Amino acid sequence: MIQRFQFKRVLPSLIVVVIILGLGLASYRFMGQESFVRTALSGLTLGALYFMVAAGLTIIFGLMDVLNFAHGAMFMTGAYMGWQFYANPTFLFGILPLALAFVTGLATTSLWLPVVIKWQVPESWTKRINTTLIIVGLALVVVGFQKFDVLGLAETALVPVMHAGNPLAEASPQETLAVFWSRPVLLFLSGLLFAIAAARPGDKSQHVTNAKPTGAWIRVAGLVVVTAASVLLREPASIAVLKMNADIRFFLALIVGTGIGAGLGVLIEISLIRPLYARPFYIVLMTLGLGYVLRETVQLLWDPVAYAMERPPLFSQAGEAENIAAWFTGHNLTIDIVGVTFPSYRLFIIVLGGVMLLGLFLLMRYSRLGMIIRAGVQDRNMVEALGINVKAVFSVVFAIGVGLAALGGIGAAPFVPVQPNMGDVYQLQGFITVVIGGMGSYLGAGVGALLLGMARAFGDFLALKFSLSPAIAEASTVIVMIIVLLVRPAGLLGKKDE
Amino acid sequence: MEPILTLESIHTFIGQFHILEGVSITVPRDKITVLLGRNGAGKTTTLKSILGLTPPRLGKVVFDGMEVQGKRAYDIANFGIGYVPEHRAVFRNLSVMENLKIAEKKRGDLERKSDFIFSLFPDLKRLYKLPGNHLSGGQQQMLAVARALVADNKLLLIDEPSEGLAPILIEQMMVAIRELSKTTTILLVEQNFIMASQLGDFFYIIDDGKTVENGKMMDLVNNADLIKRYLGVSIGKVGGVQ
Repeated sequence: MIQRFQFKRVLPSLIVVVIILGLGLASYRFMGQESFVRTALSGLTLGALYFMVAAGLTIIFGLMDVLNFAHGAMFMTGAYMGWQFYANPTFLFGILPLALAFVTGLATTSLWLPVVIKWQVPESWTKRINTTLIIVGLALVVVGFQKFDVLGLAETALVPVMHAGNPLAEASPQETLAVFWSRPVLLFLSGLLFAIAAARPGDKSQHVTNAKPTGAWIRVAGLVVVTAASVLLREPASIAVLKMNADIRFFLALIVGTGIGAGLGVLIEISLIRPLYARPFYIVLMTLGLGYVLRETVQLLWDPVAYAMERPPLFSQAGEAENIAAWFTGHNLTIDIVGVTFPSYRLFIIVLGGVMLLGLFLLMRYSRLGMIIRAGVQDRNMVEALGINVKAVFSVVFAIGVGLAALGGIGAAPFVPVQPNMGDVYQLQGFITVVIGGMGSYLGAGVGALLLGMARAFGDFLALKFSLSPAIAEASTVIVMIIVLLVRPAGLLGKKDE
Repeated sequence: MEPILTLESIHTFIGQFHILEGVSITVPRDKITVLLGRNGAGKTTTLKSILGLTPPRLGKVVFDGMEVQGKRAYDIANFGIGYVPEHRAVFRNLSVMENLKIAEKKRGDLERKSDFIFSLFPDLKRLYKLPGNHLSGGQQQMLAVARALVADNKLLLIDEPSEGLAPILIEQMMVAIRELSKTTTILLVEQNFIMASQLGDFFYIIDDGKTVENGKMMDLVNNADLIKRYLGVSIGKVGGVQ
């Protein structure tokens, strides 16, 4: 996408740039410097948020043809996970051993393959065996969670930390190890059953490599150790995180939330989306439903209430920094940017969006994975014919997409209310962004997000100035979409022939 | 010596259409075997069935002593099959270098093979950094063949390499394919009978999804009746360039 320097190719983007510059100049004269800078910065912030949602949407759609209507819910889930980690990670560390135990069980799949393939399973039994394995596995999960106080764990983050010596003194509903240990064991067994089912007994078409499964054994052994550690360290880990420097904890929360999002993405792709590739319409319905499930689950755990995540001290010291350089020493709440008082955290969002775009660019341009994704967008079968497991690449891409959405969610959490439907509006704008930028083009998503953010910010300004209905401002993004689609039906950087 | 590939009466469906209704082929090692037949006879589908891109519903595909039917396409490709699809499916968004790099099955494949590839297709060296969509049709076809050479493949499936090429490029392609046949086995689909007859050691004719004739290419060239019946080429035209 980057490599085209023909004039005809760049022309539409050039025209867009000229129009934007013209509009910018006109509004600068009309609005005056202060409101213009303020509005433009708001537009950038919004654009960065739209991009965080749209980037995942567009790479998932480009490679996999999957329209992920649960993307907003994943954005929201990311926000909740990051907020939990930052406020009080007891919930996450309480759930972690169970999730790890289940994953450890699942990780044995490749070890089962050579065993299972030797089983003489009559054809009529193949399906029944798998169904039985999965039902028993699910039953074990239910037993494993029996009387587990998830709601109590979820509420720990709402209890303010009073006691500096032991931050968990006020809130610690964790069961003792004597009661708890059976749960991970049950979930591990359940994971084992799922792993056997995933090895598909009775399916002789599978290919078993003769290579020794040492790598798989090491992976499983490593996971067992990590799981055991996570069982023993449930409380010490939470305390250690809470005693940490709050800024470091915040950046850790960004990473942890992204990781949880990516893990969730892999799980969803393998279990829910993969069986449905032959029926694209079902995927749309499934993701729509999944969005509701995620929202309702979060609502169950944390009630349908809006929470405010505290800003890390890095962005919340009293006073105003005279310029960006001064902020680096003062860590002030606001920064003076050419005479406009602007919250420093919003600048961080803009930077985060830029870093994401840069990271995606480097990934797509210089890594083998990026090469495979760019090739796969054009011709999946040919990529497969080169000996590349495209299905596995799909899982990775879905994980990246959801991870980006989750990262966006955590980034947004400190300045938009954290609530179950916080992602919906971003999902809508994300879809509009993707359409404007061209389906499948992450650079297009970047340009589209910028355009939409500006349209929204300046629309808001105009609506306020002429006391119009706020609906006009909300419609501004759709108006931009209509104009772009009239001029270029495939989107700004979309391809004509697809 | 056992053949590198055997198809035993394979049947392939695309949607509800029964495209292949019993294709049996034996591809001997280190030779060029050519699939002939009219448009829509099922030649391309045969190649795709071997690779598992359109998996056969019935019949056996034995590659290098191993039954591969029903396995995933990437697994089959990794057993050592290189594929050059019709319509030169090079990746337009990738540079020439990346188009070759992506075909690596082991780290360093491209470095090891690049001299060989450039000796066959010197043009690619000059175009190395250009994106795939800047290449002419002929250059794209060269690239598509070169891509199948990056990994150490035991069998190359080449679909219509001469399609839409200028005569001078057909010449170059033939030289390249003949050079390749010294080190690897080739199963070639080719409409251009002159090219097919000059390259092939053995031939199979597919008609209406079934293999109907096979034998040595020498025998086919001398059998004007057979050529006319299945290929619609009258023998008078053989010798001229289409």
